[in-house]
Amino acid sequence: MTKNIPSFQQFQLAFTAHIRDPVHQPRPKNVLAERMDVYKEIVFNNLFESVSACFPVAQKVIGKRTWLKLIRGFFREHSSSTPVFRKIPEEFLAYLSNINLLAPKSIPPYLTSLCHYEWIELLVSTMKGEEYQRYIDAKGDLRRNKPAFTSSMQLLDYEYAVQKISPRYKPKEKISTQLLVYRNVEFAVKFIEINAVTYRLIEILKQEEMNCEQTLTLLASELNQELSETFITFGMDILDDLRNQGVIIGVLRS
Amino acid sequence: MFNEARSKIHGVGLGLKRELIPQIQAAFGDKTIANISFVEIAPENWIEIGGKAAKQLDWFVERYPIVCHGLCLSLGGLAPLDTDFLNQVKKFLQQYQIPLYTEHLSYSTDGYKGKQGYLYDLLPIPFTEEAVHYVAKRIRQTQDTLGQRIAIENASFYVQAPMSTMDELTFIKAVLTEADCLLHLDINNIYVNSVNFGFDAHEFLRGIPGERIVYAHMAGHFQQAPDLLIDTHGTDVIDPVWDLLAEAYQLFGAFPTCLERDNNIPPLPQLMREVNKIADLQHLSNS
Repeated sequence: MTKNIPSFQQFQLAFTAHIRDPVHQPRPKNVLAERMDVYKEIVFNNLFESVSACFPVAQKVIGKRTWLKLIRGFFREHSSSTPVFRKIPEEFLAYLSNINLLAPKSIPPYLTSLCHYEWIELLVSTMKGEEYQRYIDAKGDLRRNKPAFTSSMQLLDYEYAVQKISPRYKPKEKISTQLLVYRNVEFAVKFIEINAVTYRLIEILKQEEMNCEQTLTLLASELNQELSETFITFGMDILDDLRNQGVIIGVLRS
Repeated sequence: MFNEARSKIHGVGLGLKRELIPQIQAAFGDKTIANISFVEIAPENWIEIGGKAAKQLDWFVERYPIVCHGLCLSLGGLAPLDTDFLNQVKKFLQQYQIPLYTEHLSYSTDGYKGKQGYLYDLLPIPFTEEAVHYVAKRIRQTQDTLGQRIAIENASFYVQAPMSTMDELTFIKAVLTEADCLLHLDINNIYVNSVNFGFDAHEFLRGIPGERIVYAHMAGHFQQAPDLLIDTHGTDVIDPVWDLLAEAYQLFGAFPTCLERDNNIPPLPQLMREVNKIADLQHLSNS
């Protein structure tokens, strides 16, 4: 590639390669080290800040030095494909998932999940809300209809209790954890801990063309539970609660 | 040459930072901020955004003329122009009725290990004939896609490529002519580069094709060494840069000018002192 391009582009390649990896890629010829250092610092620091701002817990948990090393690796090895600044943390997640497969010792096994969880807040706070109000009846009967969830809702399933991780709690073992994250009408991001049954209930409601009662009937059979009014009431209580919190914003008009 | 874009904004602009949004909203209509006549945003911060930020953007679009000043188009970059992104910019400009899009005469992507990647910073294009043709072609491609002329900003830099065959002013003028685009003149960058590369900033300014100026930038910088200034946008504008702006208005007549403050952002009333100072200089040159 490098042989067929004009000299100004060969210089650009050498220049950016050295910025990314000053240890292994030589400084371009006839360029002052002091001036090159400016770019090495500002380009990396800029990226470091853009990534770090999204992951306050992750960097505390693994410590400053490991975090710095991790972002260094990201800067050196990853080709970010988005020009949109708020998507830089997403590029970091992609990098993290890749290196996690190599299981380096400095990276705790829960780090990818933790970073994903921290990124969800950024995603939910800035994502576009779909406007489909006219298909939704805000006051409709939940039991006999299909619920409409707020479009910002993220149904999350982690292998670790990511919401509890901190420098004081670094999980030694996996704990299956389900969470629901959404944005309310005041644009605040809300986190709700749910259990596996509620997770499955919402999952079916999102995927299948069934009303709440039909869904609870299916859920009862999946759980090998006898279908009773008590079970339906138990399920409807959960859904009413989600409605009160603004996760369910009405029912879909049939 | 008819500079159609300059008529779409006037007076003094302010770079819109998140910290400033609630302050401007609270002071809106008050005479203390009356000199803010337009606001400048980076499309890379606002494209496809939802939630609270989208609502804030709507608020500004209803009340101020907006200009888009991009950072990542990478006009001098190795990889093909990101046409997906460019089309997003086009849609964004249309959606919010934004009349002007400007970019830097620099690059922000690479081709490391054969893969294009965004580096999210402004890197120096070597000043060669080939680079002039290359960049001008990409500016034309951008203008064709958008269906409007763009303006390019003279960027600040710290390294001069050893194979450069011309000085910065010659390079800028050659690109402007070949691409037939407009100039987004950064006054602070002229000063920063004049110190970093030892040339006369006023002489440089006098060589600028004034008829192509659509608007200007004013900002502060950080002095790292006597011969090395870093373009941080993190301090107040210094006197030699004010002198350059005054001379530019004298030479070319007053043009719209935007204050950029990206780091170490003081409260709005303090920023307004610089906004007002720009407005004063504009009035002085018009009277």
